[in-house]
Amino acid sequence: MPVANPGRRLMRHVGLEFVAKKVAGGGHRNTNASLSLTSMIDFLVVTVVFLLMTFSASGETPQAKGLTLPKAENALDMIDAPIVAVVGSQILVDGSPAGNTRAVEESDRMQRIDELFNMLKAKRELWKQTHPNKDFPGVAMLQIDQNIKAVVVKSVFQTAAFAGFPNVSFMVDKLPNSGAH
Amino acid sequence: MGGVDVGGGGGGKRKSVDSDINMIPMIDLLMVTISFLLITAVWTHMSRINADAQVPGPPRPDVEQEKVEPEKQLHVMMQSEDKFVLVWKQGSTTVDQIDVPRKDVVVHAGNQDVVRFPDLAVKIESEWKAKGQHSNPTDRKLDQAILHTDNKTEFRYLIGVIDAIYQTHRDMNLGSKIEKMPAFNITFAVN
Repeated sequence: MPVANPGRRLMRHVGLEFVAKKVAGGGHRNTNASLSLTSMIDFLVVTVVFLLMTFSASGETPQAKGLTLPKAENALDMIDAPIVAVVGSQILVDGSPAGNTRAVEESDRMQRIDELFNMLKAKRELWKQTHPNKDFPGVAMLQIDQNIKAVVVKSVFQTAAFAGFPNVSFMVDKLPNSGAH
Repeated sequence: MGGVDVGGGGGGKRKSVDSDINMIPMIDLLMVTISFLLITAVWTHMSRINADAQVPGPPRPDVEQEKVEPEKQLHVMMQSEDKFVLVWKQGSTTVDQIDVPRKDVVVHAGNQDVVRFPDLAVKIESEWKAKGQHSNPTDRKLDQAILHTDNKTEFRYLIGVIDAIYQTHRDMNLGSKIEKMPAFNITFAVN
């Protein structure tokens, strides 16, 4: 389309100065901001390096809901083992219900928890079937709320031992080392 | 486009050694890496405290049992509210008994109160240095500590005492290198 001189315009007395100002920047602050690419890449690289350094390939150990673990300083790294969680009065083995601790709490006596015992024994048998030529490690991880009474802790501990898991570990939140050693 | 000067080059007809990196895919890659690492990040670091139930195996009638002299064991009694009692026993014989005044040190960690027993830890360490039986780095066996508690004690107090017992460390030769290991193995008293 050829370019032609503009002819008469309707309302030519209206100057439209505000449009001209907007388009040219006209004394006002520019609405586009520039970003320094060098600083941005520096920031991204530092973030990537930090996240890579804190990355854990072993993943997260599932923690039962409503459970507060106690904290300890002299703790070891986690290992892969069946997790027995005690939340309130409920016992879970790898997330599946395995009885409750009401009988132990009411009697205030240390005793074997049959449902937990059977479930752990089944897990042990299954492991032996799937690993016929290996020695059973007998490791279980107890995930117990910090306010649970000792009689429940000892009952669960002994039940696990009798079911073939004598090597029991208590899950804790790691406290930073105070420098005693 | 961003330019990267890798140096050299020389003059004249040689091909330029400067190369360009396309900034858009590079920033995309960094963004994707950050997203992946943020999603898979684990912010809570859980650990474990080991205990051993010391369950004896079934007796074997075909094997003659050797008479082994029982080892010294450290019994840590926490039933009293104002003191711990440390008892060294060899079999049923009491070798030594020490009272340690109980001072619960409550430390605020996050939104949680952590109970610690530093005095007990120091006393157990000095006791082990004096009476512990397995201190040679080539000895893979650990001294045995047995924790006595009443039924109503809360789990966090048990962990506080276990943590104090595990504060005593010793050198252990693990084949290629010598590492610091806890000096005690812990179990619970049945009664």
